[in-house]
Amino acid sequence: MTLFIWNILLAFVWVALSGNFTGSGFLAGFIFGYLVLAFVSRMSGDMTGYTRKIPQVIGFTLFYLWELIRSNMRVAYEVLTPTHYMRPGVIGLPLMTQSDAAVTLLANLISMTPGTLSIDVSNDNRMLYIHAMHIDDEDALRADLKDLERRVIELLS
Amino acid sequence: MIEWAVVATLLILALALVLTTARLFIGPSLADRVVALELIALIAVGIMLAYAIQVDRPAFMDVALVLALTAFMAAVGFARLLERGGSSDE
Amino acid sequence: MSDFLTVFFLLTGSGLILIGAIGAVRMPDLILRMHATTKAGALGVGLMTVATAVYFLDIGVTVRALSILAFVVLTAPIAAHVIGRAAYFTGAPLWERTLKDELGQNLDRRGHYLRSGLEEQDRLPNRDRPAE
Repeated sequence: MTLFIWNILLAFVWVALSGNFTGSGFLAGFIFGYLVLAFVSRMSGDMTGYTRKIPQVIGFTLFYLWELIRSNMRVAYEVLTPTHYMRPGVIGLPLMTQSDAAVTLLANLISMTPGTLSIDVSNDNRMLYIHAMHIDDEDALRADLKDLERRVIELLS
Repeated sequence: MIEWAVVATLLILALALVLTTARLFIGPSLADRVVALELIALIAVGIMLAYAIQVDRPAFMDVALVLALTAFMAAVGFARLLERGGSSDE
Repeated sequence: MSDFLTVFFLLTGSGLILIGAIGAVRMPDLILRMHATTKAGALGVGLMTVATAVYFLDIGVTVRALSILAFVVLTAPIAAHVIGRAAYFTGAPLWERTLKDELGQNLDRRGHYLRSGLEEQDRLPNRDRPAE
């Protein structure tokens, strides 16, 4: 967190030195400051959380957008073809983590991935109930969801 | 080119609005109607955005923003009402 | 270029909203309808905000467009969860072709309590636990 404050300070220094008092000037200063901090923290040997986090967050955002586009193509396909091919069902997914933040993020992501919609979490945070459009191949579906959960835990740890 | 695209967008959204209103009237349960209302709010946000482009005034985006905010609040409030009482079939 | 992008985003966005509306009419039960309206509606409005941002090319408009986008994309799954849960608790019927329902058996409607189904497994002593 202190590194984040340092990053903002470096961005202000950049704005003051370059005389470019605009949003894009600040953004450029932020990016250069980030690169400097990442370089320094690699030199000094301790890869602290902050510099590692930003690439993860960007990667995760791109992943989320990609999932959103995929899920929309899937929904469009389901809506425009006859409905009888769907095999919907409600399945329970046992959770590896019980932290509220991770469960919230995971539930939102699942709602946005193709063909699944999270309905509820059990009161002890250990089971997430999901409505899926296709449960023909339940094992593959569960494997996908587990993979997503692993990503979320990695991001928040 | 943009003028025609905006008119086409507004027509498509009007069609979507008609379909969703049909679901609002059919919807067997109250929850179905809430889902339809939420989609209607989203369509209204879309209409505001298209209209902002048509008349070239960004001020309409504020209306869209507030509409998106209140629609979410309305959905949460309705769900609360459904869960803690109120009849389920009307 | 900017014109072309605006037209593209406007038409794809409104097309997605139309698909969501068709889904809201055609899908057989409440939760399947929410699959259509949540995903298609959120991304459709998101694309239309991108269209306005591209059209005006102004920092104030872009910030507002991004806030609408973030707000819609973040709240759509939450609204779906809240409505789906409320509908489920009040006993909305599922489509008759639904294959399985692991939620219904763990739900205590009167006490608003949802079990995980894992409690029994915990209560067993270690040696009696079924082999994984």
